[in-house]
Formats: sequence, C-alpha cells, structure tokens
Amino acid sequence: MEPRCHDFSRNVERALANRNLQAAISRTTGRFLEHRNAAVRSFPGDFEAAREAASRLKLATLRDLDIHLARFIDEAERRGAAVHIARDSAEARDISVRIAREEGIGLAVKSKSMATEEIGLNEALEAAGVEVVESDLGEYIIQLAGEPPSHLIAPAVHKTREEVARLFADKLGEPYTEEIPELVAIARRRLREKFLSAGMGISGANFLIAETGSIAIVSNEANARMATTLPRVHMVVASIEKVIPLMSDLPPMLRLLTRSATGQPISSYVSVLTGVRRPGDVEGPSKLHILLVDNGRSAILKGKYREMLKCIRCGACLNICPVYQTIGGHAYGWVYPGPMGSVLSPLLLGLREASALPDASSLCGACADVCPVKIPLPDLLLELRADARAQGHRTPAEVLGMKGFAAIMGRAGILEALERIGGVFSQLLFKDGKIPWLPFRLSGWTDRRDFPAPAVRPFRKVWKSKRGVLPWNR
Amino acid sequence: MEPLGNRDDLIRRVHAALHGHGETAHRPDPRASAPGPPESIEKRIDRFSEALRSAAGTVVAGNLYSVLPALCEGLRSEGVTALLVPEGDTAARELADALMPMGPFRLASTSELLHGNSPVTAGIQSSEFAIAESGTVVSTGRSGRTLLPGLVTDVHVAIVRPGILVDRMEDVLAALAADPPRTISFITGPSRTGDIEQTLTLGAHGPRAMIAVITETST
Ligand code: SF4
Repeated sequence: MEPRCHDFSRNVERALANRNLQAAISRTTGRFLEHRNAAVRSFPGDFEAAREAASRLKLATLRDLDIHLARFIDEAERRGAAVHIARDSAEARDISVRIAREEGIGLAVKSKSMATEEIGLNEALEAAGVEVVESDLGEYIIQLAGEPPSHLIAPAVHKTREEVARLFADKLGEPYTEEIPELVAIARRRLREKFLSAGMGISGANFLIAETGSIAIVSNEANARMATTLPRVHMVVASIEKVIPLMSDLPPMLRLLTRSATGQPISSYVSVLTGVRRPGDVEGPSKLHILLVDNGRSAILKGKYREMLKCIRCGACLNICPVYQTIGGHAYGWVYPGPMGSVLSPLLLGLREASALPDASSLCGACADVCPVKIPLPDLLLELRADARAQGHRTPAEVLGMKGFAAIMGRAGILEALERIGGVFSQLLFKDGKIPWLPFRLSGWTDRRDFPAPAVRPFRKVWKSKRGVLPWNR
Repeated sequence: MEPLGNRDDLIRRVHAALHGHGETAHRPDPRASAPGPPESIEKRIDRFSEALRSAAGTVVAGNLYSVLPALCEGLRSEGVTALLVPEGDTAARELADALMPMGPFRLASTSELLHGNSPVTAGIQSSEFAIAESGTVVSTGRSGRTLLPGLVTDVHVAIVRPGILVDRMEDVLAALAADPPRTISFITGPSRTGDIEQTLTLGAHGPRAMIAVITETST
C-alpha cells in the first residue's frame, strides 16, 4: 500500500466530515474497551505484574534477537521449513512471487496479517497472476471494497451493514440482505470454496517460537486454521521482532494479547504450527515457506526506539486514543493506525513521509496505560517530534512559533505583561470567554471550534491570592 | 526450493544493532517451576465447564447413556443430519453409534465434506487435552489424527475424558514441546466473528456450535 501519511491533514478533514465513520468508530472502540476492562478485572493473578513480566520478556528477547532468530531459523529448517529472509518490502514481494511461481500457485487464501499489508503482498501476487483472497471476514469485506484496513483487529469497523450488503450484491451477485447472520453465511459459503481449492494458504504469525521453530496464530473465525490446514503449501510472512524464546513463553503472552484485544480470556482458536506434515500425518501442508521480513526493524533495534518492537498488535492503544476515536484508522495514511502507528510508521517510512503522525497526539498517556507490554508510546512520540525538528521536517513558521513560546515561558515578566494585555482584551471583546474567529492560518482552529480567550485573572494571580506563594518565590 | 535472501546478513545486521548481549539466551526454562497445589477432578471439571460456557460453548456431563438425550436434542436443534467420525477414534464411534438411531443421523464421509454441498454435519472427536483455566480442548495432528471434525463441520462435539484435564496451557505445551506435532489446535467454543458492526455472530468459517461431552469412556 502506498503510504499517504504526508496527506495527514487532508485525510483528517475527510474523516471529520464523515459522520457514519465517527459513529462506527466510537461504537467499536467503546465496546472493545468495555470488554478489555472487564477482562482485566477478572484476570487470573496480578495484571500489572503480568504486564511487567511480558514487557521484560519482550525487551530481553530483543536484546538477544540475533541468537533467538538464528535458533528459530535452524529449528524451523530442521522440521522441514524453507526460511527466506527479506531485507525490505521490495525483496519480500519478490521472494513471495518467486515462491508462488515455483510452487505453481494460481489461487492463494490469506488469513489476516499486518506484515503482508506492510509489504504490499496482495498487489505483487496479483500482478504476477496469482488470485489472492482474504479470508478474515473484515479483510474480505474491505478487499471487495478495494480499501485498506482501518483497525488492527477489526479491519472493517468503518463499514455499515448496509454497505456490506450492497458490496456483496454488487461484487458477488448475491441477493441483497441486511441481516448480519445471512451476510456471514454468504461469506462462509463463498470462502469455503476458496479454502478447498487454493494451492497455498498465506498467514502472518502472532509469535515465532525459537525453541521449536513454531508459529503461533490466534483467530476467532477459524479462517487461519483453514488456510494453514487445507492447502498444500503454507507461506508465513512475519517480521523479525515476533520471536519469543520458548514454548512456555507463549501462554503468558496470549493471556495478555487476547484480553487486551477483544477482552476474551483466549481466542476461539490458537494454532501452534511446527514444520510440515510428517510421514503418517493425514493433513497439513507438505511445503512450508517462512518469510522473515526486516524492513527497517534492525535499524529500529539500534537506538532509542527499540521498545516499539515489543508491540504485539493488540489494538488496545487505538481503542483508548481520543485521536483515533475521532479520525479512525484511514486518516493515518498507512497500514498501522493509532498511537502505535504514529510511532511505527515514521520509523519504517521515515519522517519525511510521516512526520505529521507524532503530532497527532495530546500526549494524554492513555495508550501507555493500556499497552499490555508497557511501551512508553508518549515518550516515543515526543522523541519523534524532536527528531522531526532536528531533521528539518518543520516549517519555519512552526519553528519560529515554538521559539517565541519558549522565550515567553522562560521569562516571568514578559509572560505577566502579556497576560495582563490578554486579560484586558478579554474583558473588552470576549466576555463569554471564547474567541470565535482568528485571522489567517489560525482560522484552521476557529473554523470548527472556539479558541479559549485569555483569562481575565491569570492563573498565577489566582494562585497567589489563594495559596500565597509560587514555588520559585519561596 | 532453496531459501532465498541472506540469512547470515540478517543475523549480522541484527547483531550489529545490539550493543552487547543480555542473559535471556541461557535463562532457565520456567517450565521447571513448581506446580500449584493439587486440585480435585470435580473442581477442575467445574472450572473447565464455566470457562467454556462463557465462551459460548455447551457442556454436557455424565456417563455415555445419560448424556445422549441432551446431546441429541442439541444436534437436532442445529439441524444436524450427518455425523463425521475420525477413523480409529473408538470413543467417538461409540457415541456416534448410540446417537444414530435417535436422530436419525447418518455417517458423513470426509470427501463429502471437502467437496461442497455437504449435509449439516456434527464432527465428533476425542480431545487429547482439555484446559481448565480457559475451557479449551486440544486436538493435534499427531500419528494420523485428523483435525477436520472440529474444523469443517457445523457442530463440533468434543469428547473430554476427565483424565485429560490439565490446569493451564503451559501443561499442554510442556507435554508436546520435545517433539511438537505439525499442528496443535487449541479450541475454545465455536467459531465467531464480530466483523460486521461488532455484532457477534457464531459460525464464521468453523463450527457454529461447540459441545464438550465430559464422560468417562471405555478407551
Ligand atoms: S503498542 Fe501496545 S497497546 Fe498498542 S497495539 Fe502494540 S501492544 Fe497493543
């Protein structure tokens, strides 16, 4: 998918103008959060301790990632997998196409995978003449609509049932129905045919287990199980930070992942897949290709953003983010939305493309509070803002504005003088405490909401009269 | 097909990005940690049943003949007309044989299910493990076992002998980690989706109902 993060403000305009979208997103995020909170309350044991342990495990694994990756590759190959390595998206696409060609694949079924979205797998395979069908219901819907996902775990949250009904009628020639169970049944029937005839199943991986070279995948629909059981070839596309050292590391991570994502104590299905079918096995693919994608991760590992690679893609930070709740996923302009996307996208795409994303946060900190692996998202957003400034991705006006702000805030006398002038203006002009209109570029603010007028009595005055001292006058 | 891309290059790149190593590579396996206090089998069955019910699964328990009426009623209400039983699964076969005259149900074949236009089918299978913490049953592809009864059918009937109940997922993985089979499937309730307007709908791609039959079987 071509990134459109540089169009952020235009994307936001569009999202804000779409009432349906906002209703859908606030309903979805609200419900996810409710379920998550209930699941946290009923967590077996100490949830905070579990978060801390998971965070430590992920960080410690990243610190030794070369060792764990090498072990994963060895163990997977020992059990019959071919492990391919892609440095970047282009190489990943190229390798996938070669795998499909070599295996003689005409039809592939896919289960949900963010890594494949990131590398643009579908387009590449389609261009090479391979039909690729998404099998997660949400992904299937947006594939028919020709749209990217708008949420990590609920990719079609922005679609209403009427839109889905129209889509199935137009694109599949099915009789129009707005009944959700019937729509699900249509997808089930259509996709069952695909599962049974596809030569290759493509999946992502929630975790790669170094100890045994295994892949762990969660799903609720059973599509991931179908795609990894029925076709004769299985291709896994996963980024390198998904490795965990041991089988026994899986359950504690799963307990956090599914609760943080949908509030379920466990997803309906968890598959742990190891190698290819053995002699005597009656099912399972006879070929397994695992494509490990770096695409900038080894560079992230190097520096101050390493903690971002702890992310297990649960989506909790999206649901709780007031910005995501307002603009939805598409506005972020690429595959990763919400707070995690605002950090990850600039790291993977560069600040030239995505420098606007770290600004789209009030730094309220809610994301860090819910993150099951304790990623300090607000800190990372701040770091990125500083980097954007250092790399010159800021307009002269912004830089000047910030310099001016710093100059005023650093000098109590000037601040006080300005407060006094502001107070007089407020008394004369903005008696209701609101400024309804500002000139020039500042109208961007007042077009949609009022700007608060300066207080007639500045806070510091009030403070003085009530409590007497300011800390620096003590 | 030969692996593509440069493996050593990746490991080198990652190694260079890390400034020295921590200690995870050689840390002790937490599997070795002490087990919790012993638990009665009744307590374990209760935990399993409660967890599975809250994941929209159904639980029936008792000896083979006492569970039949409820099970049969459950299958009929889902419109089931055929049963899929894996070859060599004697407990499943026994249950199917007892059910067939009551339905009436007939036996379905795998090929029928894999080639479209299949009847409404219940897949009956003995589980290899069951997990009390999460109400999960476990099937694997070990030694010729099939996963289809819990996958391509409309109703999944999982036979759970009390003896296979373990406390947590860790116990299952510990038993299998030395030589993991190609597939380990953890199944908790029916297949579900909330992808259209967040409305929970059962039977997305897999079974729309899941019934655990907790019973002591002859095998
Ligand atoms: S950053 Fe944390 S909360 Fe957000 S998706 Fe990743 S793991 Fe979940």
